[in-house]
Amino acid sequence: MSETTEESGASPCPRTLGVRAPRPRSPWRDVSHGLLEAADVRFGYGGTRVLDGVSLRVGRQGLLGVLGPNGSGKTTLLRLLAGSLRPQSGSIRLDGREVAGLPRATLARRMAIVPQETHLAFDYSVMEMVLMGRYPHLGPFELEGPRDLAIARDALAATRTAELEARAFNTLSGGEKQRVVIASALAQLDRRAERGGGADADWSDGLLLLDEPTASLDIGYQLDIAALLRQLWRDRHVTILVSTHDLNLAAGLCRDLVLLKDGRVLAAGSTEAVLTTEHIRALYGVEAEVRPHAAAGHLTVVPIGRVAGGGLSHPRGSP
Amino acid sequence: MTRAATAAALTAAALVLGLAPRAAVSAQAPSRVISIVPAVTEMLFAVGAGAQVAAVSSFDTSPPEVASLPRVGGLLDPDLERILGLRPDLVVVYATQTDLIHQLARAGVATFEYEHAGLPAVLATIRRIGARVGHDAEAERVAASLEARLAAVRRRVAGRRPPRTLVVFGRDRLALRNIFASGGVGFVHDMLEAAGGANVFEDVDRQNVQATAELVLARAPEVILELRGEFGSIGRGDIDRERRVWNALLSVPAVRAGRVYILVDSSVVVPGPRVADGVEKIARVLHPEAFD
Amino acid sequence: MTIRARLVRTIAAFGAAAMAAILLAPLVGSTSISLVKAFDASIPFPDNVDAQILFVARLPRTLAAALVGSALATAGVVFQGLLRNPLATPFTLGVSAGASLGAMLAITFGWSLSFLGLTPVPIASLAGSLGAVAIVYWLAQARHRGLSTNVLLLAGVTMNAFFSALILFVQYFADFAEGYRTIRWLMGDLDVSGYTPLVAALPLLVVAFVSFAWLPRQLNVLSLGPESAEARGVDVDRAQRLAFFSASLATGAAVSVSGPIGFIGIVVPHLVRLLVGADHRVVLPASACFGAAFLVACDVIARTVLAPVELPVGVVTAVTGGPFFLWLLVTRR
Repeated sequence: MSETTEESGASPCPRTLGVRAPRPRSPWRDVSHGLLEAADVRFGYGGTRVLDGVSLRVGRQGLLGVLGPNGSGKTTLLRLLAGSLRPQSGSIRLDGREVAGLPRATLARRMAIVPQETHLAFDYSVMEMVLMGRYPHLGPFELEGPRDLAIARDALAATRTAELEARAFNTLSGGEKQRVVIASALAQLDRRAERGGGADADWSDGLLLLDEPTASLDIGYQLDIAALLRQLWRDRHVTILVSTHDLNLAAGLCRDLVLLKDGRVLAAGSTEAVLTTEHIRALYGVEAEVRPHAAAGHLTVVPIGRVAGGGLSHPRGSP
Repeated sequence: MTRAATAAALTAAALVLGLAPRAAVSAQAPSRVISIVPAVTEMLFAVGAGAQVAAVSSFDTSPPEVASLPRVGGLLDPDLERILGLRPDLVVVYATQTDLIHQLARAGVATFEYEHAGLPAVLATIRRIGARVGHDAEAERVAASLEARLAAVRRRVAGRRPPRTLVVFGRDRLALRNIFASGGVGFVHDMLEAAGGANVFEDVDRQNVQATAELVLARAPEVILELRGEFGSIGRGDIDRERRVWNALLSVPAVRAGRVYILVDSSVVVPGPRVADGVEKIARVLHPEAFD
Repeated sequence: MTIRARLVRTIAAFGAAAMAAILLAPLVGSTSISLVKAFDASIPFPDNVDAQILFVARLPRTLAAALVGSALATAGVVFQGLLRNPLATPFTLGVSAGASLGAMLAITFGWSLSFLGLTPVPIASLAGSLGAVAIVYWLAQARHRGLSTNVLLLAGVTMNAFFSALILFVQYFADFAEGYRTIRWLMGDLDVSGYTPLVAALPLLVVAFVSFAWLPRQLNVLSLGPESAEARGVDVDRAQRLAFFSASLATGAAVSVSGPIGFIGIVVPHLVRLLVGADHRVVLPASACFGAAFLVACDVIARTVLAPVELPVGVVTAVTGGPFFLWLLVTRR
């Protein structure tokens, strides 16, 4: 497992490992803990074991990907991290405190989940949808005030969906919906109200968890969301954890990766160190080439063929 | 033969064949009669055809002889298999049981159709069923006797002002909800008139009326008469409790004068040969002084 | 406009409509009465027929319509939020089927248990509702996942079918008059003939409505699905249980007063949403008011259009609510 490092500027060059830059804010926080840590977590439903001793750590302003095939336990892991499920053994800690012991509202103010798809049963507007993110910040009969509206608008601006404010959520395209859901998550994580009401969005303490956020989107929207997340991480200092099975999304977006196979961690570390041909073969049973791409500015993965039995099988037969 | 002639011949044949079975059966008196209509069962026994009755409905209670007879269901659930299994030559059915009528016709069994109607229809039905089962003379005697008794009651109450009466068939227990009353049509209405009463709903051209609180208050009956066939659901001790339920409607003359009656006797609910008993009982309630 | 201002304005408007309906309805009826005489204090109340009609027949009936309409409309909103389905009704989960079976048994077998101002049929109806709710809840309880709305729906639909079959079976035991009265009960009837049936149902309705006050925000977030709602800090388990029990209580109490009156629980929430949007904080109180006004108006139609014969109020709600709803949908799209 590696420590997270700070991005030095916005240029798309390969990052160096192991350099620990000074933290930009909150020097009083305990920096020896990651923001969110899972230690040897085991979990199962009924007789099936879904996670079998998983450990990972996300540091403040980290950008971690959990990569694995369908059924490897990614969604379950995310729900455990967010506190919806309790691990059967092992621990999950947020800022050093056990997640299982924290009140629901506290967790909701620190962690927000963006699922693969969101469908609203009723015709809420985009603004109403984003304001749902303010739920953990308001009392049982408290109505949203001007500050909550400002928070929502800032979140919409950050995801470039401000012009959709009055639209009905269910009429948006897939990509627009995901951006609005991310805005709702940002509104949920905005702590300026608790911090004394500054005028700027404060997402520095929050953790954005995304569960296969691009799996239902076509490629244009996929790149859109990936760029948005990267930008939020880089410019707005949002800590992000993404689960995905998409190798190129992981390669292009994430700084660090945890490879999950059959409920166990296969490898963990920076993307460059972990995303290798050997690991991909072990994870997916697929032969693939991994190389940096100058124009894209990051690693790309080219799948060659399936590893079946003793040999390689191309989709189109032997080359 | 030309086409038209063929068609005519076939039509004629169909008509003859269609009519033939019924014509053939009615030539002899039926000896195995099944009656699904309790009122007509009573009529059959009253005209002396009791021995010809092979089975009755599930709801028959009178006369006592029916206790030992097999049952074949009722208005909603007639058991066709059982009926046919008893090999009847006449089945008394409700006119509304159209499915059953068709099925019996296909099986070649004759039917006698009965419809709920007014008091004159009761007398007419007695004569009709009597003729159908070969007891014309007795039927005539029974009907004539009933007519005489009805006329006697009319004479007794003639000249007395008919009280405005609300006749209730049923309502929820211990509540003034779902009140089911007699309209200006039907045999209960006719019984009331024969007994010297005036129906508050005589202007309503239906057998049943849902009497709401507003209607009862507006019509202001002088007598409230609840008719029940048997104690069954109300025990004798409950009669007073049930009568007191009407006290909620304070301005109704019947309530203020205490003239709320619950009459429990099957003769007042069965449009059969005991209608004269029923009319006499109602008349005694409406005009007690005429019977002293 | 701020959320608070919208809330206040909308509730005031709907509340005014409800109040107007409740005040005007007793003045209309199949009998013409003189208001002057009705309010004439010099005539003793037991002698004053106009006053009797106004205060014993019509006013309790209007209040019953308001309470039942309000209860069924809000229960509809809550069930739709709970099941995340705009097509859910207060009767989807079997509450009214249980109530109908109870009432049917009481009518057919002439039960006579009565206490606290409740008469046998409402008591049996309430008992039936409670039984149905208990069975459905027990079936839907999963061991470690709380209340599963899918299983809830299946259990409710199954209970509806099962109780309907039992109702048909019981009808065979009824004689003609009883059979007719059970069918009439199923069509809905608001003729309470006095205030006692209302007073008896009132505590249950009050408990239900007070519970409803906690639900709107949670129902909003619940419409995202239980996992997403939980991630936003909603106690999904508790919210679902509260919604289920409070809406079932409101439905059971309403049906015990008037029998199952259909259409209100689906038409009113839809109409209200088309007018004010999807936010439950507005939809719930607005539906309470609109439901009251709607049923009061339907009852006036039911008791005047074919006077002196009355139409069952359930027929009127279907015939007026249905086409109006269709028209609104067509013009809005």
